[in-house]
Amino acid sequence: MRSKTAESSHAITPIGVVAPPPILVQTPAFEGTLAALFRCVRDRKVDLMEVPLEPICQAYLEYLMDSPETNLDEAAAALTVLAYLLERKAWQLLPSEDIEPEFEEPAALPDPTGYAYSDVIQLLLGGHEERSKLFFRTSGPDPTLYEIPYSVGEVTIGDLARAFENLIRKAEPDEIDVLSKPRKSLVEQMRVVLLCLTKEFRPITALFVGAYTRNDAVYWFLSLLELIRLKQAAVKLEGEEVLFAKK
Amino acid sequence: MTLVDQLEALLFVSEAPAKLNDLARVLNLAEGQIEQGLEILGHRIDGAGAIKLVKIAGGYQLATKSEFSELVGSYMKPQKQRLSRSIMEVLAIVAYKQPITNGEIEVIRGVQSDYGVRVLQERNLICEVGRKQTPGRPILFGTTQQFLHQFNLDGLTQLPQLEVDALPVLSADNGQEELMSTEEATA
Repeated sequence: MRSKTAESSHAITPIGVVAPPPILVQTPAFEGTLAALFRCVRDRKVDLMEVPLEPICQAYLEYLMDSPETNLDEAAAALTVLAYLLERKAWQLLPSEDIEPEFEEPAALPDPTGYAYSDVIQLLLGGHEERSKLFFRTSGPDPTLYEIPYSVGEVTIGDLARAFENLIRKAEPDEIDVLSKPRKSLVEQMRVVLLCLTKEFRPITALFVGAYTRNDAVYWFLSLLELIRLKQAAVKLEGEEVLFAKK
Repeated sequence: MTLVDQLEALLFVSEAPAKLNDLARVLNLAEGQIEQGLEILGHRIDGAGAIKLVKIAGGYQLATKSEFSELVGSYMKPQKQRLSRSIMEVLAIVAYKQPITNGEIEVIRGVQSDYGVRVLQERNLICEVGRKQTPGRPILFGTTQQFLHQFNLDGLTQLPQLEVDALPVLSADNGQEELMSTEEATA
């Protein structure tokens, strides 16, 4: 049995409930997050007797101690879940003639997915879908147009990334600049890159004369991408190598 | 110049749904006559071309036909992303229980809802409609015209009736008579 906390990236789940912190539970009977364990126990898919709760409580305390800026909503959600699990287990452990009371889901721990409004939500989503097929007059003389992504043929983002990686690898470390030193604008850099491009396809490193820094590499590459987008430069793949030329 | 032509001209320049009473006022005719004219116009433009007349958000508006959605969609900026289920839930609650406070939404849902309320306000799907005359004078929210427009509804009456028993009871003092205008509340 192992319980540990992981980095939280989303405080609010897609169902709108503040999620408990991602405490990972690993037992022979169950493996997953605390929230998943809660759902499985609630839906009686996991036998809680097979899941020791002490390490989970320990992991929760560690989460509280280790996180200097604990999200109170998350912490409260975890506490609610733990209290629920402990209560359920207590009913199972203690000898009692009483029958375990049925949990009143909507009142105590609401389940948004099974909510009374779910039919309405479906109806609204249907209406929204239908509405998205209708286009109305837009306000103002300048409607916001959608820029159709420019295709670079067989060259993929991965190929471009590889070309950039090669470029960076050959760059020399940057000199320490004075902070207030003005930098060349991208427009100026694009002008330089355009002058260096020829009709003949060449690798990006061939465009440089002499040594260059990482900063130069980033500026050159961004300028090249912008020139490709503006259809002033072309790119193609030859074997594994990405080549650039003037259009 | 026929009434149908006049209506077509007015609807062509209208950027929002044109209300029946506004059209009647401008054309100095009865609402019934306007309705008849709109019906004829609807049939006329529906037969050919790419435009159709739609009844939406309590008014009438010209829109492109659904079969052109892909073409127009590739030209115009894509519409905003769909709302998540939790936000849709907040929206449905506001639509049915308006005017409603954030606290009351949370009572119904059982979870914190201020994020959803904020997103819906930002998208202009719900808005502040007043203040409740209870301690703290919490803000009351209601749905907007934009909500009707975005969800292809002509009015709130188009929403289906819900089983009264299925809806949680908020409190006995939840009622329109307690609605206080925003101006009063901020005064």
